[in-house]
Amino acid sequence: MTTNNEAILQVNDLHITFNTFSGKVHAVRGVQFDLRKGETLAIVGESGSGKSVTNKAIVGILSKNANIERGNIIYRGADLTQYSERQFTQIRGSKISMIFQDPMSSLNPIMKVGKQIMEALRVRNISKAEARQRAIELMIAVGIPDPEKRFEQYPFQFSGGMRQRIVIAIALACDPEVLICDEPTTALDVTIQAQILDLIKQIQKERDLSVIFITHDLGVVANVADRVAVMYAGKIVEYGTVDEIFYNPKHPYTWSLLVSMPDLDTSSSDELLVIPGTPPNMLYPPKGDAFAPRNRYAMRIDYEEDPPMYRVSDTHYAATWLLHPNAPKVEIPDVLKKRIAQQTERLVR
Amino acid sequence: MLRYISQRLIAMAITLFLIISLLFFLVHSMPGSIVNDPMLPIDIKERIEAKYHLDKPLVVQYVYFLGDFLTFNFGDSIKVQPKVPVFDIIKDKLPITIQLNILALLFTLPIGVICGIMAALKKNTATDHGLNMMVVLFISVPSFVIAALLQYIVAFKWELVPILLSAEQALTWTKFKSMILPILALSFGEIAIVTRYLRAELCETLNSDYMLLARTKGLSQMQATLRHAIRNSFIPLANIFIPMIFSILSGAIVIENIFSVPGLGSLSINAINALDHPLTIAVMFFYSLIALISILVVDLSYGIIDPRIRMGGKK
Ligand SMILES: Nc1ncnc2c1ncn2[C@@H]1O[C@H](COP(=O)(O)OP(=O)(O)O)[C@@H](O)[C@H]1O
Ligand code: SF4
Ligand SMILES: [Mg+2]
Repeated sequence: MTTNNEAILQVNDLHITFNTFSGKVHAVRGVQFDLRKGETLAIVGESGSGKSVTNKAIVGILSKNANIERGNIIYRGADLTQYSERQFTQIRGSKISMIFQDPMSSLNPIMKVGKQIMEALRVRNISKAEARQRAIELMIAVGIPDPEKRFEQYPFQFSGGMRQRIVIAIALACDPEVLICDEPTTALDVTIQAQILDLIKQIQKERDLSVIFITHDLGVVANVADRVAVMYAGKIVEYGTVDEIFYNPKHPYTWSLLVSMPDLDTSSSDELLVIPGTPPNMLYPPKGDAFAPRNRYAMRIDYEEDPPMYRVSDTHYAATWLLHPNAPKVEIPDVLKKRIAQQTERLVR
Repeated sequence: MLRYISQRLIAMAITLFLIISLLFFLVHSMPGSIVNDPMLPIDIKERIEAKYHLDKPLVVQYVYFLGDFLTFNFGDSIKVQPKVPVFDIIKDKLPITIQLNILALLFTLPIGVICGIMAALKKNTATDHGLNMMVVLFISVPSFVIAALLQYIVAFKWELVPILLSAEQALTWTKFKSMILPILALSFGEIAIVTRYLRAELCETLNSDYMLLARTKGLSQMQATLRHAIRNSFIPLANIFIPMIFSILSGAIVIENIFSVPGLGSLSINAINALDHPLTIAVMFFYSLIALISILVVDLSYGIIDPRIRMGGKK
């Protein structure tokens, strides 16, 4: 692993709400993580858990009805939650960049892709000729064949995978050091997904980027991430290295995620468990652990008080009362045990 | 492109043919006779009707009519300005109508666009609510009511501008002053429509993913709005542009009468009332022609702003 321990981005106790007609939506409720130089941190969670909102706050593109209630985002010693729009335009793209889920809609449909890449450079007063030159180099770097010709084309002339490559080229145009990928492969076909993942891994290495990789699919995570943060109902409930999360998960929600993850070995569908129930309505965030109603191991305290983060190892933490010294001993579900055993076996072989 | 245009022109010719045929039967099914002087002896009346083939069966008349039409012989006016070729009458009335319509369009578009952009950028603020009230008001109140109110208040009470259109031929200052009210009356409803439409479109583009990407690549909100959102929100505007031209044109028929504008609008009313069939058909034909041409122009300009249409992209 190429990571060292220097955190270039720290999110502390972040609380974000949205004003809506039906009331305040508590989308993010105390998110805490750090991103280290050169690592890939995956944030995993069901849709609606607040992954996008957290990361939009980092780039300063929250919608107007959002409030940052509490907490801070420290990037290179500065608190981004205090940044003005003008300060944000200084770092967006050049320091922190972000790509989005749907490459079909992330590009302006009526502007040539070349121009859209150039634009990122042109706003930083780079001459037209140089911007063009660099845009073409970027297109080559993200694997667009025939870049000179493609430069003059419009987004509708590209396939989904190619568009996502263009989006990545745009995000990389000004050499950021942090790249946030918000479900970059969710909208793509499986084969294309793998290619885009490879591309992200490759550019991450080449440019020594620090990447936040958001996904709802744990299956993708094992491939790209160094560390994993599991998010549920606006909170991070467990984080650790990939190995710790996959082989020694502690939080029942992580268990359910792992169990519900399709696996090449799962031949019969009965083993593919779906997490019962639905995530809580964030208009009325529940008291206690938000996962309790869906958790068959829930205890009384779970409905009364939020569990603190318990330390499992120096790199592994989980917020579940099950880790309390007085908690009854609850074993990992058998299905999951079997899987972990299989995976370990495969690794050993 | 050329093939596309020629296809469109052929389709246009067919449409025009259908329109004039329909017009012919419609106009000739209007009750009454062009000879409505009860003192006229019956045989003179019959001779007059025979002169215009009005005694023949309708189908025969239709064949005569088509023959004339295909040789570009639109005929003479029967009653409004007897014996003057309809073409000359229209040519005579046309300039003032065109002036009015173009000025109304020129007034409507920029103001509607500015109001729409302002409402979208200031969504849910006092500006937006104010504009919204204006929109509701001007869409629901018909233009002739606005015309009458303007005439009464601005021209009659305040005496700021003349009540009726000045009879001067050239576009002088007095003439222009007398045109202000008809232009306003024609424009208000359209301004409201443009405002409402553009606000909706722009709000949507402002929330689009490509706006987010534009901002994450370092454009300020302002730059992203100007370069990406506004241009994209203009494309669907072309959708309402054609109806707008029609609605100004048809609004002008009533408005011209209110302000005594000697244009195509009042001419068409006079022609219909007088059962002056050749003139009625010619005027209506002319309206249809303008309409079809503007549809064509708008369709072609669609391609200029939207590459997906220009280049025949599937998706
Ligand atoms: N602009 C907004 N206004 C109101 N609620 C929002 C807004 N954006 C996100 N939310 C809410 O915040 C929660 C988290 O959303 P999000 O971060 O997009 O989830 P995900 O983890 O799928 O990315 C959801 O409940 C969503 O409804
Ligand atoms: S704290 Fe309680 S409800 Fe929450 S995950 Fe642990 S056991 Fe389940
Ligand atoms: Mg999301």
